[in-house]
Amino acid sequence: MPGLTDNLYLLTPEFALAGLAFLVFIIDLLLPEERKDLLGWLSVAGLLGVVALSLVMLPGKEATLYGGLLAVDGYSLFFKVFFLGLGVFIILSSIDYVKLHLNHPGEFYGLLLFSILGMNLMAQSRELLTAYISLELLSFSLYVMVAYALNNAKSNEGSLKYIIIGAFSSAILLYGISMVYSALGVTRFEGISAALSSITDLRPALWVGLALIMVGLGFKLAAVPFHMWAPDAYEGAPLPVTAYLAIASKAAAFALVLRLLSEAFVPAADRWDQWQIIVATLAALSMLVGNLVALAQRNLKRLMAYSSIGHVGYILAGAVALSTDSLLGANGIIFYLVGYSITSIVVFAALIAFFNATGQEEIPDLAGLADRQPFLAMAIAVSFFSLGGLPIFVGFTMKFYLFTAVANAGYLWLAGLAIFTSLVSLYYYLQVIRQMYIQPALAAPATDAADGPGEHPPAEPESEHTHTPSHHEPSGDYEPLPRPSALLLVVMVLGLVAVVGLGVYPAPLLELVEGASAAILPGG
Amino acid sequence: MVPLVYFQLLSAALFIIGLYGVMARRSAVLIIMSIELMLNAVNINLIAAASHREGWGSFVNFDGQIIAIFIITVAAAEVGLAMAIILRMYRNRATVNVDEIDLMKW
Repeated sequence: MPGLTDNLYLLTPEFALAGLAFLVFIIDLLLPEERKDLLGWLSVAGLLGVVALSLVMLPGKEATLYGGLLAVDGYSLFFKVFFLGLGVFIILSSIDYVKLHLNHPGEFYGLLLFSILGMNLMAQSRELLTAYISLELLSFSLYVMVAYALNNAKSNEGSLKYIIIGAFSSAILLYGISMVYSALGVTRFEGISAALSSITDLRPALWVGLALIMVGLGFKLAAVPFHMWAPDAYEGAPLPVTAYLAIASKAAAFALVLRLLSEAFVPAADRWDQWQIIVATLAALSMLVGNLVALAQRNLKRLMAYSSIGHVGYILAGAVALSTDSLLGANGIIFYLVGYSITSIVVFAALIAFFNATGQEEIPDLAGLADRQPFLAMAIAVSFFSLGGLPIFVGFTMKFYLFTAVANAGYLWLAGLAIFTSLVSLYYYLQVIRQMYIQPALAAPATDAADGPGEHPPAEPESEHTHTPSHHEPSGDYEPLPRPSALLLVVMVLGLVAVVGLGVYPAPLLELVEGASAAILPGG
Repeated sequence: MVPLVYFQLLSAALFIIGLYGVMARRSAVLIIMSIELMLNAVNINLIAAASHREGWGSFVNFDGQIIAIFIITVAAAEVGLAMAIILRMYRNRATVNVDEIDLMKW
């Protein structure tokens, strides 16, 4: 074991990120109120700097820090760059919103930076307490950010529910940790896996402890039946924070769960068989409940909340496919996380642009959006098709890889259920698209489509129909929306390019993903 | 030395009482207090386990105490945050009764 401080320099990106957050807090005090959006730009520039720093310093490094509490490896580097990038895009899409709708921008960006620090550490931690502390660094920032609209009753309510359930689930998680510790005397992931594979007399305390850890993490992931906080927190939170909750915090929780499962549970192969059943049950429940309840939603944020619960189900199904002799499951999960995040960023950037222009966030408000602001409608439509899993978009590719892995692992029923619920999800995504493209009852014929960057889901006649913007026949009583700001346009265009690009040509990303998952599942 | 199992029973009892409190209390403040009980149950469990460590080999293992100190710190921060949010709630809605906090359902 190397000395505790030998290779501390490997944490430079984390120190830089923490420094950046404090810098934002301090500069916030010096800037006059109307210049505060500079803080957003400072955060973006800083995050890009940290990305560059990590890419220069860390590739190829394999090390553990603090005597094995944190790991610097391909997996953590991949997620570090991923989370920092997500942070950049979330901040870019929230700068306008924060200026228009929120007070205290300095703390907003500062907290966001701290939560990104927490996420980075979650992907690196190899010990339960370290994982817990990083998780709380993320959660605490999120509690505050959900409550950010101080005088909005819904924001208060969402945040109260979030913090009560969050604290409750932390207590359950910690009790699980304490039982594992008292049964095994270790909290490191490799120690747990060694103990699990060698132990012969299984004490019930150990099982209860591990189960409680799974329950606690289930709350953080918002997997059914531990999902009840998610829709309320999503709906109450200001839109950029909803985006952040749906995308980044979910990806971070999965980064932690994936490392925990593959380092602590999967190597103990015969015990892992028993855990697979439990994870598969959670996955099946999440897919079913998330997608079915989403059918009944009117609020866009709530719709996205339930849809994200459904996606958690798919990713958990991928977790069932984790094994020591195949990287397929881990690859599928990581690729799915990336694809899902990129697609959701486009959705939320479009929703933020819509909210900035109208102040509305219900599905019926979107009626006629194809005429009022064709680009927004196109962005939402494309990303919803991607989330629903239609080909040529990244959503199809990611579902294809993930469900293949599940089927290869022998869980055909789970893969079947995932495909079935994907079809269900297409229904509520198409509802929104119908609202935007058909609702104002224009007599526009379904002409040859001329929208967007020229890409189209082949087949699926209904989608082609709904996909056609009717901008040449403005019929009467709609008023066009102002163009989305340049910032949001940039985010959406980049996102759309990535959604289509990764859907058509995922190979370069998959190569990176394979490097990441090989770091946590060396046997593969 | 008091056997480990007594501590574990005490801890489990505290945890269950806390769990019951979270389910049964209607005031958000009391719910937070019940969560604190659950966290203290965790601390008892950890410290008891760490001081009964002789079964685990020769090297000294203070992990339990260290984790407990971290949990105390994090719990204090959590309560601070929760109380701030509850205060906000009270100023906007004049209630902290979780039965009446029902703007959003399903």
